[in-house]
Amino acid sequence: MDLYLASVLTNMTLIAFLALSAYLVLVVGEVSFGQQAFFCIGAYLTASVTALAGAHIVWGLLAAILGGAVCALLLGLLTLRLSGLYFAISTLCFAELLRFSLLHIRFTRLIDGREIGPDGPEGFSNIRWIFEHNYAVTDFLLLAASCLIILLGLLFGLQRSHLMLTAHMVGHDPVLAQSQGFSPHRYRLGFIALSGAVAGFGGGLFALFNTHIEPAMFGVMLGVHGLAYAIIGGLGTPLGPLLGVVLDIGLLESIRQLAAYRMIVFGGLVALLLVFRPEGIASPRLVARLRRRWGRRRV
Amino acid sequence: MDVLQTSLDGLMIGSTYALLGLSFALIFGIMRRINLAFGACLLFGAALAIYLEPLLGWGAWGLFFITMAGAALASAYVERLCFAPHSKRSGAVTAMIASFAIWMQLDEISSQLLPQRTHAYQGLELPTLWLGEISVRGDQLLHFGMALVSIILLYILLYKTRLGLLIRATADSPESAYLLGARVPWLGFVVFFLAGILGGVAAFMILSADGHITPLFGLWSTFKGLIAMIIGGVGSLLGAVVGGLILGLVETHAGAALGAEFRDMVTFGLVFLVLVIRPGGLMGVKVYRTDNAAQERV
Amino acid sequence: MPALGWLPDYEDVGGAAVFSLQGVSKSFGGIKVLTDISLTLQPGQRLGITGANGVGKSTLINIATGFLKPDNGHIQLRERILTNRPAWAFAQAGIRRTFQTTRFLAASTLGEQLLLAARTPACRASLASLLKSSGLQSSLPLFADEIPLPMLRKAEVIRGLAVQPEVLFLDEPSAGLTANELHEFGHFLQQHLPQQTALVVVEHRLDFMTMVTDLVVEMHLNQGLHIGSDGC
Repeated sequence: MDLYLASVLTNMTLIAFLALSAYLVLVVGEVSFGQQAFFCIGAYLTASVTALAGAHIVWGLLAAILGGAVCALLLGLLTLRLSGLYFAISTLCFAELLRFSLLHIRFTRLIDGREIGPDGPEGFSNIRWIFEHNYAVTDFLLLAASCLIILLGLLFGLQRSHLMLTAHMVGHDPVLAQSQGFSPHRYRLGFIALSGAVAGFGGGLFALFNTHIEPAMFGVMLGVHGLAYAIIGGLGTPLGPLLGVVLDIGLLESIRQLAAYRMIVFGGLVALLLVFRPEGIASPRLVARLRRRWGRRRV
Repeated sequence: MDVLQTSLDGLMIGSTYALLGLSFALIFGIMRRINLAFGACLLFGAALAIYLEPLLGWGAWGLFFITMAGAALASAYVERLCFAPHSKRSGAVTAMIASFAIWMQLDEISSQLLPQRTHAYQGLELPTLWLGEISVRGDQLLHFGMALVSIILLYILLYKTRLGLLIRATADSPESAYLLGARVPWLGFVVFFLAGILGGVAAFMILSADGHITPLFGLWSTFKGLIAMIIGGVGSLLGAVVGGLILGLVETHAGAALGAEFRDMVTFGLVFLVLVIRPGGLMGVKVYRTDNAAQERV
Repeated sequence: MPALGWLPDYEDVGGAAVFSLQGVSKSFGGIKVLTDISLTLQPGQRLGITGANGVGKSTLINIATGFLKPDNGHIQLRERILTNRPAWAFAQAGIRRTFQTTRFLAASTLGEQLLLAARTPACRASLASLLKSSGLQSSLPLFADEIPLPMLRKAEVIRGLAVQPEVLFLDEPSAGLTANELHEFGHFLQQHLPQQTALVVVEHRLDFMTMVTDLVVEMHLNQGLHIGSDGC
């Protein structure tokens, strides 16, 4: 496979994790501008576990999942009272706080003649696990893509489950959910933690793929892009966020003549799209009606 | 003396933050919407001014007027494309994301207008005033005055004119304002235009004091405006002014005491604390409560 | 119930009472809406509450189902004290309600939503029997906006009854129904309401009230209301 194509596809896969994590928060009715924080935590944890502690990539990614989930849960608990705009801004502040704190974290060690570890604004270099173990770019793409497919498969399997349907209910109409005995807080906390885990995992893969990470990579723009993909795609199916990613990176990256004007075109298109499809392309209504037409009923 | 000097500097910067916060509070207070493209509108105005300046040669005041007009036009464009179509209550998130998309668009247009990363932005040449050991830059003092005048003009517009009455009625209850004959959709447009003008004034003040502009200005001013509004109290106009001044003071003092790299951290920490402990900010508790009550109404 | 000395006093409301709400008052921003309301329900009791607009009927229902917190007062279901619990705890304990404007999700079929409400096998069984006798089965694969309002009202009641609740509150079920449809809805209630379930209807259509309730009381602005064990 063409190296360029492989790296574009890998980037799309990695950003898809971020978009999916934004999607999970949107499902329970909240908007987060801070998913990049968990992506960032995952990246730093995986980097530390694999490069600094020399552990296997599995441990690194596990640490990323756990770290992302725990931090997200913490944020969720702190902001339990907040919703809507207030929640969105507090997630943004949380992410920026984390990023600024990373500028001051320095913990480097000499390993094999290289400075390894988080080094303030210079970031964390030489995360060489995939090179030391002779993974080609395409191998890594295969790994990341299969993880993404497994996650999507999981979400698809759960799509019509009680858990997911109740989460959607909590997101759409918390009053209705409460009147049936479901605690919106619990679902919210659970899904925020889950979103942290997904973003953390994506961040871990990102660190491995990029071999170098620095706080500046995890700015607000990253998170808001993930969020925008999820909203453009729509909440009707877990494929929605993926659709957003493919539309932006895939389509527009491939028309490279447009590169300079890409955002002018894309920004306008997205705003127009939202005028006509305010719930995104694959909106819950559309997906539900399509499903019925195809005759996959459960009742 | 140092403390006094730092505080004075803080107030000078804070007055520009107050204008930015005021623009956000105007939009949020009346329409319960967040315009993420706000900073990008200012950036667009400033970029347009710099692009046109060599052709027109009007000097600093030319920059001022074009920046203001460009920002107001961009803001009105954002309202038409991103906010007018999503005026239902459930449209808040969609409108926010649409405005994010337009942010990207305006950002890109501005960087096409400003091909280099840094461009000079001509300021007003005024002598520095000395009061004993305390100094105030002449242009900053003028800016402070301009901010004051803008705030007073906005006050007169909102509280002494019929248009202002309609705008405030809409803020209280769009439905009843509509029944009283206010053209609510058109008022939204007016409010965005006003916010653009206020923001344009602030942009001129900030950029001419700095003497240069970079494409990061858009993101920066969105942040400062949002933060000033949240500290002061979401939706409260007076709160936004106070919040802006506090933000200026906190920034300069944190910068002086801890160093520049901790300045932003302190600011974001403060906002996070405000949101977690007192989500209504200093003066927006009532707005916060009524919003919450409206959300939970059965 | 064992004596739990550290719990707030709870009045013995006569062994059989299922739901009690004692001395509840509520004001919004200084305006008193409810003053000193007490309401005690026996299992299977059918109570109607009527009154002019703005006397706080809806506020009362929202407090009784946990969606609003009273300024003071005490709420309990059998031995369970619910006063400061969130609304979902009320629902879990067995207090269900319907809404003035029916609430359904736009993107799930009616069947999915009813199944969602009934999670245990016992609830599923009662849901199935309710559906069979109510003629709603043909609407199950439809979305809420494709189902006529009278059907939705019945579906909402079924959603509540599927979990075999202790108390069911109906908030203005007549809203939007014609006289005939309301009459049919009344019949539907008479047929399907389990013996043991207490029913409270907030409503101003008296013809409907006489059909489904045993007792109708009228609320007045800021006059206390005492219904139940003290022989009202």
